[in-house]
Amino acid sequence: MVTFTKDQIAAYAEASGDRNPIHLDDDFARSVGLPGVIAHGMLQMGILATVASEAAGGSDRLRRISVRFAGMVAPGDTVTFRAAPAGEGKLDLTAVNQKGEAVLTKSRAEFVA
Amino acid sequence: MAAVAGRTYPAVRFEIEPEAVTAFAAAIGADPAEGVPPTFAAVYSLGVTAPQLFGDDEAAVDFGKLLHAEQEFEWQRHPRVGETVVSRGRVASDMSRRGMRFVSFETATTDVQGAPLCTSRALFVIRS
Repeated sequence: MVTFTKDQIAAYAEASGDRNPIHLDDDFARSVGLPGVIAHGMLQMGILATVASEAAGGSDRLRRISVRFAGMVAPGDTVTFRAAPAGEGKLDLTAVNQKGEAVLTKSRAEFVA
Repeated sequence: MAAVAGRTYPAVRFEIEPEAVTAFAAAIGADPAEGVPPTFAAVYSLGVTAPQLFGDDEAAVDFGKLLHAEQEFEWQRHPRVGETVVSRGRVASDMSRRGMRFVSFETATTDVQGAPLCTSRALFVIRS
């Protein structure tokens, strides 16, 4: 479970090089119709991949991960990331916010034993 | 708008520096001692090639109307900290439907010898 913060989003912007102002500047984000800054979809995917890597027994075993970005995540939102076994070398992944909405859908991973 | 399916972009070299890996791992809650986090491919693969697409006047992708709709990474081997990798971006498909444009952008990342490391597949949706 991760509660997103502006600091974490800013840290990801810096670390990833994705400094799109919709992630950093509330005024800019509102000017394009958002409620304020939102988390990078790739930050959500990164956290999901960390959870998937633990389930796979190590990040070097991860061979594939795919997601659909289905919902916005704003600072203060709490998202539960889960990886469930789905057969040999496969994981079903979910990311659900505090309202019960899936923010990432169609999410799967494959790994080698 | 121009459909640019099949368009390829020049190879981009990227050195995976330890400080960058540590900062990225911290931002996603990963243990930097485990090596390069898998989705650091957002930087060394997608991150170095997507700007070539966005900066391509003929592709005419309006960044302000762009949504990153889907993302997939597939690895043959994860790169090592300190390794230099080479990425080549390609527009796999480019279609318009009901006023929306769907651009599938694929990046093939190899090591410096040309052995495959990672394939990134991004689906961008551009609203009109």
